[in-house]
Amino acid sequence: MTNGENEDPALVRLVDVRKEYGDSVALAGVSLEIHAGEAVAVMGPSGSGKSTLLNMIAGLDRPTAGSVHVQGDDLGKLNEKGLALYRRRRIGMIFQFFNLLDDLPAVDNVALAAQLTGSPAGSARKRALELLDELGVADRRNVYPAQLSGGERQRVAVARALMNRPALLLADEPTGALDSKAGEQVMDLLLDLNQIGQTLVLVTHDERLATRCASRLIEFADGRVARERNLERTP
Amino acid sequence: MSAVWRASRAAVRRRRLQTAVIGVVVGLAAMMAVVALGLLVAASGPFDQAYARLRGAHMLAAFDAAKVSNDQLTRAAQQPGVAAVAGPFAQAVVDFDGIEGQRPPSSLSVVGRTDPAGPVDRLNVWQGRWIAGPGEIVLAVNPTDPLPGQLGAKLPVIGGPTLTVVGLAYSVSGSANAWVTPAQMADLHPTGVQMLYRFTHAASAAQIAAGQAAVTAGLPPEALLRAQSYLALKAIAAAQPGTFVPFLIVFGCLGLAVAVLIVANVVSGAVVAGFRHIGVLKSLGFTPAQVLGVYLAMVSLPAIAGCVLGTALGTVLADALLTNAFKYWGSDDLGVAGWVVVAVLVGMPVVVGLSAFVPALRTRGLSAAQAISAGSSPHTGRAPRLQRWLAGTRLPRAISLGLGLPLARPARSAMTMAAVVLGVTSVTFAIGLAASLTRYQNADPDLAVQVEVHTPMGGTGGTDGETLLRSLPGTKQVTVSADLDMRQVGSTDDTRVRFWRGDAARDRYQVLRGHWFNGPGQVAVSQRFLAERGLALGDTFTLAGNGTTARVRIVAELMVSSSKVIFSNWATLAQIAPGTPPDLFQVQLTPGTDVPAYLDRVKATGGSLDAFAPDDTDTFIPIIVATVTLLTLMLGTVAALGVFNTVVLNARERRRDLGVLKSIGMTPGQVTAMMVTSMAALGAVSGLLGVPLGVAAHGVVLPAMARSADVHFSGSVLHVYHPPQLVLLALAGVAIAALGALIPARSAARSTIAEVLHNE
Repeated sequence: MTNGENEDPALVRLVDVRKEYGDSVALAGVSLEIHAGEAVAVMGPSGSGKSTLLNMIAGLDRPTAGSVHVQGDDLGKLNEKGLALYRRRRIGMIFQFFNLLDDLPAVDNVALAAQLTGSPAGSARKRALELLDELGVADRRNVYPAQLSGGERQRVAVARALMNRPALLLADEPTGALDSKAGEQVMDLLLDLNQIGQTLVLVTHDERLATRCASRLIEFADGRVARERNLERTP
Repeated sequence: MSAVWRASRAAVRRRRLQTAVIGVVVGLAAMMAVVALGLLVAASGPFDQAYARLRGAHMLAAFDAAKVSNDQLTRAAQQPGVAAVAGPFAQAVVDFDGIEGQRPPSSLSVVGRTDPAGPVDRLNVWQGRWIAGPGEIVLAVNPTDPLPGQLGAKLPVIGGPTLTVVGLAYSVSGSANAWVTPAQMADLHPTGVQMLYRFTHAASAAQIAAGQAAVTAGLPPEALLRAQSYLALKAIAAAQPGTFVPFLIVFGCLGLAVAVLIVANVVSGAVVAGFRHIGVLKSLGFTPAQVLGVYLAMVSLPAIAGCVLGTALGTVLADALLTNAFKYWGSDDLGVAGWVVVAVLVGMPVVVGLSAFVPALRTRGLSAAQAISAGSSPHTGRAPRLQRWLAGTRLPRAISLGLGLPLARPARSAMTMAAVVLGVTSVTFAIGLAASLTRYQNADPDLAVQVEVHTPMGGTGGTDGETLLRSLPGTKQVTVSADLDMRQVGSTDDTRVRFWRGDAARDRYQVLRGHWFNGPGQVAVSQRFLAERGLALGDTFTLAGNGTTARVRIVAELMVSSSKVIFSNWATLAQIAPGTPPDLFQVQLTPGTDVPAYLDRVKATGGSLDAFAPDDTDTFIPIIVATVTLLTLMLGTVAALGVFNTVVLNARERRRDLGVLKSIGMTPGQVTAMMVTSMAALGAVSGLLGVPLGVAAHGVVLPAMARSADVHFSGSVLHVYHPPQLVLLALAGVAIAALGALIPARSAARSTIAEVLHNE
């Protein structure tokens, strides 16, 4: 990996990416670019290929054909370890159902991402506490996920995603499992992050989330980019 | 087709790995249960079993042919207390001119018999065939003491015919040294008649005496030359194979415990891991009874297949082990008892059913939603303090996460650990046992002898032979001995006294108590000799034989097992039978000496010395070591399979957690390390528990084996464990656990995670 030392102006570049699961085609030749600092929303009906796209960018899955480049690196050339290191260093992920580890309290869930890189437990916990504090859940640091509200869980998940200062934050239906108030809070959080320069890719069914947080909207249908447009963010 | 059957079949098809694991584990467990139970059953009273199976004689009687007729003997045997009788058989003590290529001449007690079977004393012809006509002879040889070249050898009777050895047979009653046809007996000038009796009541010496009185009542006085009760034989015969019994019992118990533990763990784990599926079935409208039916059928199908196969293989294996273990009695048809096979075929599915039933029962009270959520990893954060502490340590995070994993499913972890503990116990015990037996074997003085040189009958050998041998290149040490058959005055048992001269005997024999000879009139004996004769170190007794008597003092107890041979020095021989020439030179060669070349050199001297390399391979100890190794491998494999299954279940339950960890950058290597560590931690604890248990088992079993064999083990044989070795043995638990965990851990590391993360 080049750690982003490249001349490609695009942070993420997909070239004719195709993904098939047996006879089913999830992505049918997708090409797109995402630039640093952008907040891109991906929308479309169920089964249109949105989550598959996110998996490709996150290196959680490999394309059947085509290539995915992030900061100039072709993910197809990385082995499993290389992909893990790529996710660790450059990607932060937020999921609809939070995906926190139930056995660990909030602070250890967040610190885990740094500890996997070899950071000492003390410094990892210190940064985790800072992030939890910034996200307004520092007082819940020693609470286990099962005892947190949905909004609190998603804030902890965002903190974990930001732990290693990723170049790219990927969010898959981040408000999908939240009530409206908690959803609003998460939207504000994502917007704030983008405004301080965090590149963001959002997969969502929620047009309000897209128009509020994203500067560009990509609409998917049948595994293809059906439409692409810039957005005026609405408050 | 019912919905339950459909759902069960679908579940079996969908969980191929789990189905295979259940089948293999139940199969191995059934195999081990058959072996364990078979050994335990055979180990309880093996002599009685073999004796009953071969219809051994309760009393062997030799009558004077000149004083009683065959008809009289037959009529006298028809008594109410006589269950079966064989004979009369003509009997003679025959002097042979030596078996060609074998040791010097001997006298054998030969009996004329038409048939190896019969109502009493069924002979086990374990090599060659039974006699078909004149000119043939079958020798009585224990299957554990084969001497090469006996079959087909020519045996010239001094002053009589030459007989060909056509078979080797074993009589559990010890009724003769050899058998020929009744017609052949006429050429051998029989003077006695043998009768073999089985009595209705033969448990005590008094009952045997009563039987003897009954069958000799009405016979001419002094017609009975000798009567031998099987009780004496039982005491002697039980000594060597008795050493097998304690360790078979230990391994049998270990095997049964591991089998039940592993099956319970694997099956209950499969049901617990299926809680989510159970919830789905409930949501579809399956009743609790139907859900139970699905799960029982799901685990029963592979379990029954594995059980049948495992029982069949176990029967074959146990037969082989038992044949080896109890070959001493010539009962090579000693097999697994029928009820053992039935018990395992019924018992193992019951264990499987119960193991599935208990956790499946828990789902009856759960709603569909609760069951679905119970299917993922536990949510309550068990043992949070320890996990938090681990998170704060300097250990790599994958390792500290792995160390915390067993706490999530404490019951499953405990059962897995128990199996590994038993595995480590077995390994520790087995290694200790093998080491002890090897040391004991190495202490066998005859093993140090590489060449034996006999002097010819009537030859002088003597100092000339010794000087000659010492002058040959390759000779390191020469021990000169002469044997005399004598008897302790007041005893009916013959005793062979071996007199030594030379430099090597003291080095080769280990003195357990007392001191080496330092003057004439001293003897050294085995512990068994002391026990059988009621003597103690320091006692004196009188030896008679060779037309003289000699008072001797017991000055040493040697680490030898025979009670039939005692040892003394040349100075004592000079008092008892001055001028007796040596009859054996035992030569130790300098390292690197080519034995056949040395034998040629002895021959090339042109003298009358007869040199050969003794085949002193003791088959008994290698059999024990091989059996121990096999059983240990089985126990270790089953324990590792239990770990394998636990990791498979953990990985399935933690699919989402693994996905999360991978999504935040855990590498495949770290995933593998985490999963292996989770089991290695259990393995380490198991090692710490299993090693002391194994050492304790060794400490109990070895002395029990020594007591059975009437031998005394020296400290070096009993104390075989050393601290570095114990540390390595403790690591055996880690090794078993890590090996069992490695494959499923690597599989978990490679699993696809994208779908789990987005859908759960």
